[in-house]
Amino acid sequence: MLQQLLEPTPLPPSIKANRIPSGSDTYNEVLDFLYDEAEMLDNLRLGEWAELLTKDLEYNAPLRHTRSTSQFDQTYSRNVQHLHENYGSMLMRVKRITDTKSAWGEDPPSRIKRLVTNVRVYRIDDSDDLKVESYLLLTRSRFDFDYFDLIPCVRHDILRREDGALKLARREILLDQVVIGTPNLGVIL
Amino acid sequence: MDRKSNPKLSDGTLLSDLINLETREVKMRALSDPELFELEMERIFAKTWVFLGHETEIPNKGDFVVRDMGSDSVLMARGADGEVHVSLNVCPHRGMKISTHDVGNTMTHVCIYHGWAFKPNGDFIGAPVEKECMHGKMMTKQELGLKKARVAIYGGLVFATWNIEGPSFEDFLGDAKWYFDTLWCRTDKGMEVLGPPQRFTIRANWKTACEQSASDGFHVLTLHRWLSEVGPYRKPGSEGGGGDLTPEMYGTEVYTAHAHTMRCIELDRKIRRLTGKDPSELSIKEKLEALPPPGITPEMLPEVLRRFSDDQLRVMAWRPPQVGNFFPNGLFEFVYIPSPDGVIGVMALHAYVPKGPDKLEFVNWILAEKDTPPELKAKMLRLGVQLLGTSGMVEQDDSDTWPHQTLAAKGAVSKHITMKYQSMYENNRLEGWPGPGDVGDGFTKDDTQWRWWEYWYELMTAEN
Repeated sequence: MLQQLLEPTPLPPSIKANRIPSGSDTYNEVLDFLYDEAEMLDNLRLGEWAELLTKDLEYNAPLRHTRSTSQFDQTYSRNVQHLHENYGSMLMRVKRITDTKSAWGEDPPSRIKRLVTNVRVYRIDDSDDLKVESYLLLTRSRFDFDYFDLIPCVRHDILRREDGALKLARREILLDQVVIGTPNLGVIL
Repeated sequence: MDRKSNPKLSDGTLLSDLINLETREVKMRALSDPELFELEMERIFAKTWVFLGHETEIPNKGDFVVRDMGSDSVLMARGADGEVHVSLNVCPHRGMKISTHDVGNTMTHVCIYHGWAFKPNGDFIGAPVEKECMHGKMMTKQELGLKKARVAIYGGLVFATWNIEGPSFEDFLGDAKWYFDTLWCRTDKGMEVLGPPQRFTIRANWKTACEQSASDGFHVLTLHRWLSEVGPYRKPGSEGGGGDLTPEMYGTEVYTAHAHTMRCIELDRKIRRLTGKDPSELSIKEKLEALPPPGITPEMLPEVLRRFSDDQLRVMAWRPPQVGNFFPNGLFEFVYIPSPDGVIGVMALHAYVPKGPDKLEFVNWILAEKDTPPELKAKMLRLGVQLLGTSGMVEQDDSDTWPHQTLAAKGAVSKHITMKYQSMYENNRLEGWPGPGDVGDGFTKDDTQWRWWEYWYELMTAEN
């Protein structure tokens, strides 16, 4: 009971037979969606980005543990997570940055590149939604620091067509680091 | 009785040169000097009780997590006896780390280097090829166990110390216990973690986080101003709307001999808002029913009322500890967050683990009472994640501040300027305040943080 309440809805599986081939119209549309999204976020067009979200959004980033090879599938924890968001809380995160003068964690803002690769698109059985897996390497430069904070992750998204346009309905962010190597996840992944 | 020492740094600077006890100033250099860091690890983290986690993280025999006591990795494990044991996570054979996992379950911790094996309680089981006796005959098996720390469990929290013959945990808590009981020991079944802790790295000295954790109220007004701009503390239209966190600064601040401190923020405004009544006309029970402590429902209240003295209940209904620290590196939050679903309590615990003079690991646990209904637990967890820890909208601002202080501590000039703690309570004792310890009443001040530095200095200059 508690686990069900604490944990996000399980994502549908990525079934090989449902793979939408690279280069197809749908694949290209998804790719454009991800590229455009990255551009909006990199350029602080957060209000515009928020319009890409569905009202039933689930947006999560599980914790990770170092465990043995045989326990590789047990390295994620989805009760306490780094991000555990819904539509309302994501809008609050956006508003904190766009509507206040004191979101110091990102003011002045980091210079960020969201490098999106390894994109795979799947049809979902009994649904018109698309499941999209992608790699994201976020590079974050803060102040005059001469190093970059790197946030590599895999994203499992559910995209849904609403009024003809693709929207983000689910995102699960699987981070590589057990101990996150940047002072906060005040940036959108 | 401790003899006093005054450590001298290699350039001749005395520790006493870095702190002015009269004017309540600390030189920036103290924040991130590498020699001081080594001393801190020996004189503070290897001496006091250090918070490591919660016993509900390891409910079953053989369960373990790997944690840090200062700069040392330790195994926190539940043994065959059902008790929690803490041992140095270093093989007594050649110094290899025993467990390279974060979490797991085993009754036999086997070092991957030469195969020496240990029980969850740290006892040496043996080495491979028993008949050839790899460990020799000069030392007994009893002597070859993992180095064991002394453990105390309090309200489910696990503390440990290397100071085997040192002060008891109760002595360490001192006057703070009267208050801490109202946080950690509120129900018969006790609390539980809602999952493993979040962990992330900040390039800042541990003391930047920890001196703030000693109940710095002032920073909230500026650094966390967003809370009143668009966040949950934006005042309702009936109170004028807009952003002003000043009302959250009033209450009582408590600071104790061992630098455990807390801000007991007044609930009267929230209770007035919830009930439409003057809180002074309500009984303690009525106030607690209107605004129960975080994680407590009105149905759970009779148990809470039974467990505490009238004086403690008065504080819980009026000015409960909401944020504070346990020395040296723990922070707790028991906050009441206004939300569309009413006021939701959030309970979180942080450890700021020192990782060298210029780096700390922020470890964040989110908790609830075991008896808290699952729906409420889920709400508490979500709000906790949204406001605190890795992505927390409140604490991401802190995490961006501490690195700048750490850098400033290295400037040839700026390392000599001082951090000042000169805002002082003038009335030290509120008439009729029922709790022990040093107490300040009214608008937040610096006394709690100054106590943190006083005790830091006391430990750093103590010589056994």
